[in-house]
Amino acid sequence: MRTRLCLLAALALCAAAATIAAADDTAVPASGENPDPVKLVRREAKPLSAMAQLGKLLFYDTSLSFSGGLSCASCHSPDHAYGPATDKPVVLGGPDLKKEGARAVPSLMYLERQPSFSIGPDNEENENVDLAQAAALGESAVRAQKVATDTAAAGANLVPQGGLFWDGRADTLQQQALFPLLNPLEMAASSIDEVAAKLKNEPYAYRFTQLFGLAVFDDHQMAVTEALFAIGRYQIEEPSFHPYTSKFDYWLEGRARLSEQEMRGYTLFNDPKKANCGGCHLDKPTADGLPPLFTDHQYEALGVPRNAALAANADPAYFDLGICGPYRTDISDQTQYCAMFATPTLRNAATRQVFMHNGVYHTLEQVLDFYDFRDVAPDKIYPRAADGTVLKYDDIPDKYRPNADIADPPFDRHPGDPPAMTAQDEADIIAFLKTLTDGYQPAK
Amino acid sequence: MSSRQVLLSAAAIALLAPLAVPAPAAEPSQGAVAPAAPSSDAAESAATATPIKHLVVIFQENVSFDHYFATYPNATNPPGEPAFAAAPNTPAVNNLAKANLLKNNPNFINKANGADAAEPFRLDRTQAATADQNHAYSAEQQAYDAGKNDLFPKYTGKGTPGGVGAFGTKGQVMGYFDGNTVGALWQYAQHFAMSDNMFADSYGPSTPGALNVVSGQTNGMKIVISTKNPSTVSAVGYYVEDGQGGFTMVNDVDPGGDVCSVPKDQAMMSGKNIGDLLNAGSVSWGGFMGGFAFDATNANGSTGCKRSTHSTIVGSDVVDYIAHHNWFQYYASTANPKHDKASSLAAIGSSFEHDGTTRDPANHEYDLKDFYDALKAGNFPAISYIKAPAYQDGHAGYSDPLDEQAAVVDLVNFIEQQPGWKDTAIVITYDDSDGWYDHAFAPVTSASADQADQLNGPGKCGAGAPKPGVEGKPVNGRCGPGTRQPFIVVSPFAKTNYVSHTHTSLASVPRFIEDNWLKGARLGGGSFDAAAGSLMDLFDFKAGGKTAAVYVDPEQGTPLSAPPAGH
Repeated sequence: MRTRLCLLAALALCAAAATIAAADDTAVPASGENPDPVKLVRREAKPLSAMAQLGKLLFYDTSLSFSGGLSCASCHSPDHAYGPATDKPVVLGGPDLKKEGARAVPSLMYLERQPSFSIGPDNEENENVDLAQAAALGESAVRAQKVATDTAAAGANLVPQGGLFWDGRADTLQQQALFPLLNPLEMAASSIDEVAAKLKNEPYAYRFTQLFGLAVFDDHQMAVTEALFAIGRYQIEEPSFHPYTSKFDYWLEGRARLSEQEMRGYTLFNDPKKANCGGCHLDKPTADGLPPLFTDHQYEALGVPRNAALAANADPAYFDLGICGPYRTDISDQTQYCAMFATPTLRNAATRQVFMHNGVYHTLEQVLDFYDFRDVAPDKIYPRAADGTVLKYDDIPDKYRPNADIADPPFDRHPGDPPAMTAQDEADIIAFLKTLTDGYQPAK
Repeated sequence: MSSRQVLLSAAAIALLAPLAVPAPAAEPSQGAVAPAAPSSDAAESAATATPIKHLVVIFQENVSFDHYFATYPNATNPPGEPAFAAAPNTPAVNNLAKANLLKNNPNFINKANGADAAEPFRLDRTQAATADQNHAYSAEQQAYDAGKNDLFPKYTGKGTPGGVGAFGTKGQVMGYFDGNTVGALWQYAQHFAMSDNMFADSYGPSTPGALNVVSGQTNGMKIVISTKNPSTVSAVGYYVEDGQGGFTMVNDVDPGGDVCSVPKDQAMMSGKNIGDLLNAGSVSWGGFMGGFAFDATNANGSTGCKRSTHSTIVGSDVVDYIAHHNWFQYYASTANPKHDKASSLAAIGSSFEHDGTTRDPANHEYDLKDFYDALKAGNFPAISYIKAPAYQDGHAGYSDPLDEQAAVVDLVNFIEQQPGWKDTAIVITYDDSDGWYDHAFAPVTSASADQADQLNGPGKCGAGAPKPGVEGKPVNGRCGPGTRQPFIVVSPFAKTNYVSHTHTSLASVPRFIEDNWLKGARLGGGSFDAAAGSLMDLFDFKAGGKTAAVYVDPEQGTPLSAPPAGH
């Protein structure tokens, strides 16, 4: 009881803060300048190390796949924000390049600060709590609501966060790179031994012996591990994976002006009574001056509609449950996390043609409609059963539907409530999202 | 202690389980140190057995000797990396290269390591951020396997993932860096003196190491508050029953009453530490730790116990102060649980404020910044124990050799430019090995037969009666010597490009202090100091202190032609 009262009090404060923030926003000069510019800290550009140069060769090498037709860059296209080049929900791979991948290809950009997967904030210095213990604590802990005007409280929530892939099953870029290499739906290499044998015969094999010693190919596992690390190192060192050159970055620094529409979109983005995007897609630089990543690295069960375009979904018994499986297997017993997927960065989202873990959406309008109507008019989002009932959360099994987020605005609304956004609001937010695309040329 | 952990902030634990912990009662220490006169180096006038008037112990984290010196003095020198070339006549050291263990290593041959069996392998400079290894008391003993040192992948090769750019592999515990990454330490070894035979006094992680380097004793632990049972092989805790009705600390636990300690597990120590003897001998001393000052605010706005620094190499923000590394905080007589500030720069190192009668609130515990500030003000304590902020302490997982190098070099470059450098000895050493592979084994001289002991089989470490604990009776839980760690002396009186093979241990540090400043007084209470090896082989006091200072580039780890700008 007492906890609830505290929470309510906090919410009242949040609402008050939101009002003030909104008042501040209307006070932003019509010129569209940031009235309070900051200095962003970007990585110093350095020549690629020998390790990263090797990683680059590997990143673009199709010969490591069984088909000989896929490299990392095939799905993580450098011309498409290291994401998919197509509007297909998933990419085709496998030995014959005809198998559907399981999930939409995430971007490889802006992962250089990704924390390890954990329940609650990660803390490498503390060596005394394991995943099961943390999950147990998380079950009894109060979860702060996510609102764009106060993201610190939700940041301390004891909920899943961090890690790579839609389900966080890898912690490092090196670990991550192994999965597509061996996935029978993707690069489909048959074994570590096969990959090691290929590496040994690559024209750049001499780089391995130069860096790792003459015996590197004697131990196949070690040779492949070094190759995977090199790929990750390339992603860490190569500036195009994390340039922070969007219009919004320059606006933060006082070097660009937002248009009136972009500014309206930015305000809506952070308005808890409207889109509240900023509750999860954090837009503030860190205290260290590092540019915002537009994600809180946490996981959510949004309940996006089932994608009938995926072959796997022809089986009505098949469900992709994110953290609790089927691709992640270590905490599938923590069923309170079933159907949760990672919150991705929104940087360069406007360049993508496929959205959500199952690729069910293809435009930002569709994505915003989902947030707008899921609760107030679910018939606009989900299919109907034969009897006419709306099949809300049709991609989550019944027993896990309570995991769906109904706490964080705008998901706290009910049928018949007014939607959080108008069509104009959505257009304005999309205009703002386009300012998150890299490669803007600032005037000054 | 660290099989793939997912971790929880201390704040979150505090939120869930607020527990009042009584601060330890302040006990008056025997004797005390009077404050220095302003702008004078009181330590210069103290009577010492050698010309050394200042000892600075840079106490880093979690590195085995072979992890940094496996191929010394030969580095790979790949293109684009800071190159290392050994001086002619560099002496051989007891490393993997000399022992011919880089190939056909027993950790590769022993099938018990399963799929993780691996030969030693080079870690590249780009792999500076690595996963952390298991370095618990029992796991290390299992890895050392009665002196065969052949089960590291099986028992200590599992750790936390580290940052997103970290390197991790099967058998990673067999990885070693060379002079392209740890160039500064290799330079110091070239120009000064290094031991290749320095062991932790007992197996186990940070806190036992921190206690041994100030007291030579891990027995006499008192539980303040605990959620843990005595440590076993399967359920790791931080203490064992010593067989005499008391406890010996074997793994990490936070100090009692420290405002930054986790609330539910805290312990104190009942024996004496070197600070007590220095107080009795009126010798100035201090413990200086990054992140200790409570009122300071970092550039990122963090303050108090949460002060943190962003490491680009690790890829995350790392909290500066780690309470379970704070040597002197475990003893009521030398604790400063509330992190009170010294009354003045002149009072640093002393027990009293400037009036000579009011007890100084810091009680010899300071922030690392206070070390720099005191020296700049001309107050260079006789004894300084230093702990870098965590991101620079060298501990795999949240720190790395490159961030570590920046901190160590910064300190050494600074000290080398002080007037007091002429009679200073800087010791660079490590609290434990992190579990990283090392091929050297020191036969057991401190036996133990607790259920947590595993060196010679379940419940066995060595044979014969255990060494006495704080009450003078044989106690369990001090199985040792433990792991071998680097130990370098940088001093005008250090021998040049010299490697000492004399067996020493972390307790050799308090022994050196006792011999030099305290007329050979000993801590007693079963401390290892009395039997610890002497550090004197690392010095040459006849040459007149003419070993030249070497300035090093903190990022490249290569020598500089001129002294760098001040700190």
